[in-house]
Amino acid sequence: MTDWACATLLFAQEIAPREIPWLAWFLWLLIGFFGIFPGVVAYMVWAERKVAARFQDRIGPNRVGPLGLLQPIADALKLITKEDIVPDAADPIVHLLAPVIILVSSFLVLAVIPFGVGLAPVNLPSGLLYLIAVSSFSALGVFLAGWSSRNKYALLGGMRAVAQLVSYEVPQVLSTIPVILFTGSLSLVSMVDRQYEFGWFVFSPPGFLAFVVMTIASIAEVNRTPFDLPEAESEIIAGYHTEYSGMRFGLFFLAEYLSVFAVSCLGTVLFLGGGLLPFPLNRLAEWMGTGDWPAIVVNIGMVSVFSIKVLGYVFLMFWVRVTLPRMRVDRMMNFAWKYLVPLSIGNIVIAAVWFEMVLRDPIKRMAQVEITGDEYIPPGIGVGLKGWIVTGALVIALFLTVLRVNRGSHASKIKEITESPIPLPSEAPALFARAR
Amino acid sequence: MVMLNYVFICFLMLGAVGFAVAPLILERLIAPRKRGRSKGETYECGVLTTGETWIRFRIQYFIYALLFVVFDIETVFLYPWAVSYVGLGGFALVEMVIFLVVLLIGLIYAWATDALKWV
Amino acid sequence: MIQSIFLLFSAIGLMAALGTVLSRNLVRAALWLVAFFFIIAVQFVLLEAEFLAAIQVLVYIGAVAILLLFGIMLTRNIQGDETTSASLNTKLIFGALGLALFAVLATAIVSHKGTPERPAWSKIQGRPDDEAGRDGVLTRKDTINNMAKTVGDEMMTRFVIPFEIAGLLLTVALVGAVALARQVGADEPIDRVRKAGFTRDDAPANGSPEGVAEAPGAVASPSH
Repeated sequence: MTDWACATLLFAQEIAPREIPWLAWFLWLLIGFFGIFPGVVAYMVWAERKVAARFQDRIGPNRVGPLGLLQPIADALKLITKEDIVPDAADPIVHLLAPVIILVSSFLVLAVIPFGVGLAPVNLPSGLLYLIAVSSFSALGVFLAGWSSRNKYALLGGMRAVAQLVSYEVPQVLSTIPVILFTGSLSLVSMVDRQYEFGWFVFSPPGFLAFVVMTIASIAEVNRTPFDLPEAESEIIAGYHTEYSGMRFGLFFLAEYLSVFAVSCLGTVLFLGGGLLPFPLNRLAEWMGTGDWPAIVVNIGMVSVFSIKVLGYVFLMFWVRVTLPRMRVDRMMNFAWKYLVPLSIGNIVIAAVWFEMVLRDPIKRMAQVEITGDEYIPPGIGVGLKGWIVTGALVIALFLTVLRVNRGSHASKIKEITESPIPLPSEAPALFARAR
Repeated sequence: MVMLNYVFICFLMLGAVGFAVAPLILERLIAPRKRGRSKGETYECGVLTTGETWIRFRIQYFIYALLFVVFDIETVFLYPWAVSYVGLGGFALVEMVIFLVVLLIGLIYAWATDALKWV
Repeated sequence: MIQSIFLLFSAIGLMAALGTVLSRNLVRAALWLVAFFFIIAVQFVLLEAEFLAAIQVLVYIGAVAILLLFGIMLTRNIQGDETTSASLNTKLIFGALGLALFAVLATAIVSHKGTPERPAWSKIQGRPDDEAGRDGVLTRKDTINNMAKTVGDEMMTRFVIPFEIAGLLLTVALVGAVALARQVGADEPIDRVRKAGFTRDDAPANGSPEGVAEAPGAVASPSH
C-alpha cells in the first residue's frame, strides 16, 4: 500500500493512545458534543418542519429570521421559560432521572462514530458492542418516564414503547453481524477501513438486505412514524412523556433527534462507507499517484461526504414520516418478530457464504502481501459476479420464504375465523357472563 | 492503556448529565412557578383519574422481554463468532448454524403457539 | 491508583446493592439493581475487560433489567406496603444465609490453588507487562485489543459443547416461559371472550380491538 493509503486508512488512529490526548478530547467535548451535535439536532428539527411542509404543500416556519432559520432558538427559549410541572402523584426522583438517562444514552452513542481520519472521539476495540450497549439504556429511560409519571396513558405508552424498542433492537443488532463478519473486528474504525479496501458493504446482496433491515429497525428504535405508537397522540395522549412539560420535555425531544442523528451516522458507517466515496473513486487519488495529501484536506473531504450521506439518511426518515401512516400495534410487533428477525438470522448465513466466496481469498492475500511486500493483485470481476449471483439468489429465496410463511399463516387464520360461527348479538350477554 | 478511552467516556457522561441538568436549573431560575391544586393533578384529558395506575399488566409484555433476553444473549454469542470467523472457517459456520437452528426452534415454538400474537 | 478507584466503585456498588434490598418500592429497587449492574460494568473496565463490560451493560441493563421491570409490572404490589416487608425472624434467617454464602465464596476464592500453567489468581500481585508473552501467545495488549476475537476463538474450539448447550438452555427457557404464559393467559377473561368467538382482529377490513384489549382496566385482575 502506498503512503497515501496509509494516511487515509483510519487505523492511523490507535486503539490505545500512548499518552492522553487531553486537548483533542476537550475540543471534542466542548465543540463536538456540546456544541455541534446539539446544533445539528436543532436544525434537523427545522429541516424536518420545512421538508414536511414542502411535502404537504405548505411553507413551513418562516417568521423567525430569514427562512425561519432562527426558529430552533426561539423554540429553545420557549421551552426554557415554560413552567416545569411535576404531577403530585409522580415519583419525583425517577421522574427527573428518566429524561437524563435517555439524553446521556443518546450522547454516549456518538462517542465511537468515526467521522473522518482519526476523527472518532475514541476508538474502542469493541466499539460496536459498546454502541449497542449504551443505546439500550434508552429503553430503561422510557420505561422509567412512563412509570414515574403515574399516569395511565404514560404507563401504557411506556410499556408499549419498551416492548417496541426491545423487539426492534433484535433485528437491528442481528443485521450488524454481516458487517462484523466482513470486517473481523468490532471497531467501527476498522469497519470503515475494510470498506476502503472492498467497497461499501451495501453493495453486496447480504449487505443490502442487512442495510434495509437495519434502516427499518432504526426508524422503529427512534420511535418515528410509522412506528410512533409509543406516542400515538390519538390513542394515548403523548405516551410516556405525557406528564413532562417545559425543559424536561425538551430533553426528550433533544434525545429523540440526537438518536435520529446517531442511527443515521451508524447506518452510514456500517453500510455506506462512512466518509468514503464509492469503491473505484475512493482509490482515485492513490491511482493517480498524487502522493501524500495533508490530513486536514483528506478530513475536510471525508467529513463532507459523511455529512452528505447522513443528510440523505435523515431525509429518508423524514420522507418515510410524511408518507406512511402509523402502524397497528399487533402488526408492528408481528413485523419485528415474524419478518425482520427471520430475515436477519437467515442473512447471517448468507453473509458467511458471501464471505467465503468473495472476501476470504483477497483478505488472505492482503495479509500475505503485508508480510512479503509483493504487489497486491485484486481479484477478478468474475469472483464478485459469481458471489453476486449465488447470494443474490439466496437473499431473494429467503425473502420469498419469509413472505410465504407469513402469508400462509395469515391466510389460514382468516379462513379459520371466517368459517367459525358468528355469535348473534343476542348471545353476547350470555357469552360475557360465561367469560366472567 | 485501553482504559484511557474510558476516561473520555466518563467525561462525556458527566458532561451529558451536566448538559441535561443545566437547562433544568436555568428553567428553575427564570421560568414562572405557580403551583396550584389542579395543576398538580394527573393529566387525563380533563377528567379526574380514577383507580390505581400502577396495576398488573398482561403477561404478553413479559414474553416479549423474555424473547428479547434470549436473542440478546444470542447476539452476545454471535458477535465474537463473527469477529473470529476469518480465522476459523467452515467448521465454525456449521457450529453457528446448529446454534441458530436451536434458537430458531424456540422462536418457531413461540410463533406456533401464538405467544407472539399481540392481543 | 487504579486499585483505589476500584475499591471506591466497590463501595458505591455495595451501597447500590443495599439500596436494592432496602427499597420498599419495587421499581426503585430495580433501579438500584441497575445501578449495581452498571458498577459491575465499570469494574470490568477497570480490570481491562471492556468487552465484558459492554456485554454486562447490554445483557444486564439492556435486557435483564427490562425483563425484571416487566416482571414487576406483573405483580400487584409495586408500592411496597406491609406485605413486602418481612418479620424480624425472616430477616435474621436470610441475613444469616447471605453471610454464609459470602463466607463460602470468600473461602473458595482465597483457598484457590490454581494449576502449574495458571497460578491461582489470588496469588497474582500485578498485571503482566505489555510485552510479556511467549511465541505464538498473544501479549496482554493484543489480548485486550482483540478480546472479542480471543473469546470467539475459545468459544468455537475449546468450549464448543458448552456453547451449544447454552443455546439449548436459552431455547428451553424460552419454551418454558411461553408454555407457562399460555397457562396463565388462559385464565384471563379477555381470552375466554376471544375463544368464544368474539374478537376478529385477524379478519381484514375490521376495526382493531387492541385498544380495548390493552386498556389496563380490562386485564387489571381476573376477578372483576
